[in-house]
Amino acid sequence: MRRDAPIFRFNDARGAIEDEVVRRVMERVGDPTALLEDAIYNEVRRLSASDSEGELARWRSLARRLRTLDPDARRREVQAIAREHAHDVSGNFDPRVFALATRLMPPVLGALVAPKATFTSLRRLLDARALADRVTVEGHTRQVARLVEKGTVVYVPTHLSNMDSIVFGYALDLAGLPPATYGAGKNLFTNPVLSFFMHNLGAYKVDRRLRHALYKDVLKVYSCVLIEQGYHSLFFPGGTRSRSGGVERRLKLGLAGTGVEAFARTAQRGQAKKVFFVPSTINYLVTLEAQTLIGDFLQDAGKARFIIDDDESSRIEKVVAFSNKMLKHNEAVVIRFGEPVDPFGNRVDDEGNSLDARGNPIDPLSYLKNRRGELVVDADRDAQYTRELGEVICDAYLRHTVILPTHLIAAAMMNRLREDAGTSDIFTLLRVRQKVGVPWSQLATDATRLRDALREQELRGRVVLGPTVREGNGDTLLAEALRAWQGSHRSPVLEEVNGELWIGDATLVFYYQNRLAAHGVALDVLAPRRERGAA
Amino acid sequence: MSDRLTVAVVGGGPWGQALALAARRAGSEVTLVSRRAPPEGSELKHEVELGAAAASRLILLAVPSSSASEVLQALGPRLDGGHFLLHGIRGLVGDELAPISSLVRAHTPVRRIGALGGPVLVDELRAGTPSVMVVGSHFQEVLDASREAFEHDALRLYMTRDLTGLEWASALTALLSIAEGFALASRAGPGIIAAFTTRAVHEAARIAVAAGGEQSTLLGLAGLGDLLAAVNQPGRPEVILGSALASGLSLDEARARVGLRVEAIELLPRLLPWAEAHKVRIPIVSAIADAVLKGAPPQSLIRRLMTEPQSSADRAPRNSAG
Repeated sequence: MRRDAPIFRFNDARGAIEDEVVRRVMERVGDPTALLEDAIYNEVRRLSASDSEGELARWRSLARRLRTLDPDARRREVQAIAREHAHDVSGNFDPRVFALATRLMPPVLGALVAPKATFTSLRRLLDARALADRVTVEGHTRQVARLVEKGTVVYVPTHLSNMDSIVFGYALDLAGLPPATYGAGKNLFTNPVLSFFMHNLGAYKVDRRLRHALYKDVLKVYSCVLIEQGYHSLFFPGGTRSRSGGVERRLKLGLAGTGVEAFARTAQRGQAKKVFFVPSTINYLVTLEAQTLIGDFLQDAGKARFIIDDDESSRIEKVVAFSNKMLKHNEAVVIRFGEPVDPFGNRVDDEGNSLDARGNPIDPLSYLKNRRGELVVDADRDAQYTRELGEVICDAYLRHTVILPTHLIAAAMMNRLREDAGTSDIFTLLRVRQKVGVPWSQLATDATRLRDALREQELRGRVVLGPTVREGNGDTLLAEALRAWQGSHRSPVLEEVNGELWIGDATLVFYYQNRLAAHGVALDVLAPRRERGAA
Repeated sequence: MSDRLTVAVVGGGPWGQALALAARRAGSEVTLVSRRAPPEGSELKHEVELGAAAASRLILLAVPSSSASEVLQALGPRLDGGHFLLHGIRGLVGDELAPISSLVRAHTPVRRIGALGGPVLVDELRAGTPSVMVVGSHFQEVLDASREAFEHDALRLYMTRDLTGLEWASALTALLSIAEGFALASRAGPGIIAAFTTRAVHEAARIAVAAGGEQSTLLGLAGLGDLLAAVNQPGRPEVILGSALASGLSLDEARARVGLRVEAIELLPRLLPWAEAHKVRIPIVSAIADAVLKGAPPQSLIRRLMTEPQSSADRAPRNSAG
């Protein structure tokens, strides 16, 4: 484990980073009045709906005073708010806690997803089995290990579960990579145990309830400054957990987009610090929050419930039971690193040199030159580079999706159901009752056939099969999927009755088969509607 | 580097030459990269070697779509991320109808890509008579650089961020202009021509939206504007071709009369299966295909237009992959 990554010195640098963030945010401030009005409007609106009297009074008072303030005083108000936000966002990193946490990762994992955990339950969690045997890290790990020495690595994995950030953090440690800083939802900081670990593991706080532009500026600048200064970072560019269970096919990138700007800024200062994006997939045999997420997807309420804080991951007993159970399975979690790319979507070699499509070296600085040949930071241009990078990352997600038995069996079952029902309309499929059970041998045969089709795709580099799927046969895969599902969710996914399989919860079958939706072998109701750019 | 933008035009056919002259007129330093020499006294620099284009920051590709891939593959290793690459090609490549910009993306390290389209004619550019073009790119700086390179008193460039829509608009209006040729030769009345033109643009918009473009681009200068212009451009190659077919010439004879390559003829047989696969209804394009490829009398186009069953009211094309 390397201890020379910048994050090990983060606490000393923290004050300077906050100062730099505030300085940069102020540099961008055009009209302080508009920023203040926007902040007041959004905060008063938000706080009126909650019962934070003190906070609310403060914003109302600012609203009243605003007219009497001269422009300089208004700028000072902006600066004060920016400083407060920067301090609130910035994290902490304690190497001792890090060392402890990597040893105690299984309980931390439980704690992460359980905001209501207490110290008592932590002790119970300590009995959890070691994760190491059950979490597999694969793909371009060796190359990433070289690149952390050559520049800043920005990990951009798929997002399924609240367990993701801690599981990914653990995967970095398993792969011998330095820890990465990441933005975690502020709601995850509410429990004392979790908050203690999050605070001390380099997480910074992202409060999704804050909607005003000044707060978003602070977040973006904070993330950009960290990347510029070499802090390896972790972002979930999908923005939120995949509701459908499918691999993200369109990205917002959000904060990850600051990687392009960070590179441009260091280049403009004549101290170009390379930035490497590592698209990765996090693949679960079973997903803790599957039932809530797919329910949310089907209600098409994804937006309304952007922050779900009452799902399976908020009940400690559920998490403990789930973690213990999950960790009994091989390939419980497979983390796969895709090929690293530069901010413009070009592949890079082990030394961090960018390569064009034919493997010829290419200078990444050239992308930053304007039509006069000058190195510039150009927000419009970088936003477009970021959109195109999003497409490259999505393509990597597809190619590095790791198929596990639950995904395969769910797809085979859904295909069978579609054939029997004579429709591919998901709402009809979820409503129809299965008339006859699917004989075990039938589903096993279907599963083998489906696996063979996916194997072809794997040979062409379009997907990856987990070892069980690659080497097993329909019977073993079916048995493994049933074992994995057994007791994992409130209702059974599939039930075996006298050698026949019956769907217990069609929404869960849908959820698990969605992992294959983009590969043309399963029902695909998730394909994004075509719009210009990646939005 | 001098203060003026340096421009290389790759392709010395009539279109490439005309665009090079337009850029020169706008004050750009222009190199024509072609085996053919530039017109006498044109002040264009001339290079035969393809790689010489890399010396200019803005490169304009004006070769037939069928050789675009080959040219880009040869050019790719000489380029880097600092180049801006525009193309003026009214074609779509392969059975998947890939726009040229996707070939640029695949074969070169260039990201700042754009396309030129709109109702300009070769002769107007050569003569310097007032005319307009449309430039499309996802990058504002490419739009700005293109205007700097080409705009002058007699040439205005309208800008769009919808590169895909512009590329499809260029290819589809070229194709639909063939039918304007039929209509003109058959002495169709203004009402029929107006009906045909607007129906055709809506059809083109359905197609372009299915391909990822925006409806508004097709309903603007690059689509509707370009097709309106074609009605009064008897010298436009596609219009000549349509008129020749309407007068009873065979496809080969009609082609010979045009004397230039008409990309749209090659697009037709690939567009039909594409539209079917993407579930886009294309009655007008199908009628053009019957006339051009199967020798159906072009006048039957008007009959098709008049008898085509109307699908309830005409709704805005849905934004869907089909």
